[in-house]
Amino acid sequence: MNLLREVAGELLKMFLGDAWLAVGILTVVSLAGWLARRGAVPPLVGGAVLFLGCIVVLVASVVLSARRHRVP
Amino acid sequence: MISLTTAAPAISAAFLASLVEVVEAFTIVLAAGTLRGWRAAIAGTAVAVAVLALIVVALGPVLDQVPLHRLKLVIGTLLLLFGMGWLRKAALRAAGIVPLHDENASFAAQAASLSGVATPRRAGFDWLGGVIAFKAVLLEGLEVVFIVIAVGAGRGLLLPASLGALAACIVVLAIGAIVHRPLARVPENTLKFAVGVILSAFGVFWTGEGLGIAWPGEDLMILPFGAAFLFAGLRATQLVRPSASVLTP
Repeated sequence: MNLLREVAGELLKMFLGDAWLAVGILTVVSLAGWLARRGAVPPLVGGAVLFLGCIVVLVASVVLSARRHRVP
Repeated sequence: MISLTTAAPAISAAFLASLVEVVEAFTIVLAAGTLRGWRAAIAGTAVAVAVLALIVVALGPVLDQVPLHRLKLVIGTLLLLFGMGWLRKAALRAAGIVPLHDENASFAAQAASLSGVATPRRAGFDWLGGVIAFKAVLLEGLEVVFIVIAVGAGRGLLLPASLGALAACIVVLAIGAIVHRPLARVPENTLKFAVGVILSAFGVFWTGEGLGIAWPGEDLMILPFGAAFLFAGLRATQLVRPSASVLTP
């Protein structure tokens, strides 16, 4: 039972280790999906939002985490 | 027939990621083997490897039944969560914000916790040592299993990706058997950084395909995606490094 709990915890940590990063990624994926399926813009616009959004989320997440670690 | 060009990214991603995880598992197995006896440590490791192999073998055919675009969307998103998580942590470690993982310290901590427990009889099977080795290999191996499935499923690359992971195990075990101490000189953070870049690039590509986006140049788009994540990771490291100077992950 304890082992199963540890396995579940490890799996959760694998994908949701940093809540803000996870929220950022899921928001970008949702937005890109909405744009790609909306039809009003070419699907590649959704692709660009996905790609650039992930880059922005990554840099923002590193900067925010660094600030959190530095707070005494 | 799978071409090397198709299989190479899957094999290298599985190999590099496995190298990191196997080194961590090896440290704990080494502590268990040295302090509690090798019979139990090897048995625990073997059982965990068998469980992990079973998960890959069982999940592979199941995933082949899932519609491809849905599979790509789910696995692509999971790759983004996992790969960008590794990249974020590697950037923070490279910048000195989070301490680097130290295999020698990990070995010492494991040894200290094991030495407090009664020593087993010489001839008997030491269950504690076996369970510790089993847990270490199983927990570290879960990430390897995910990467093998993520880069291999849906494209018929499960076997090449598994071989990449297996090769990493053989390399670490061979070096470990020779040096017989924690592999502290493996550039773990650089490897994590590289794997984070590769998996994030795969993640964007697969998620996009799952959303119905036809990338220009198809698979070749993974290269510029990887280059962009590499640049962003290095730039982020530089931004948060207390005294920004050299760009090395």
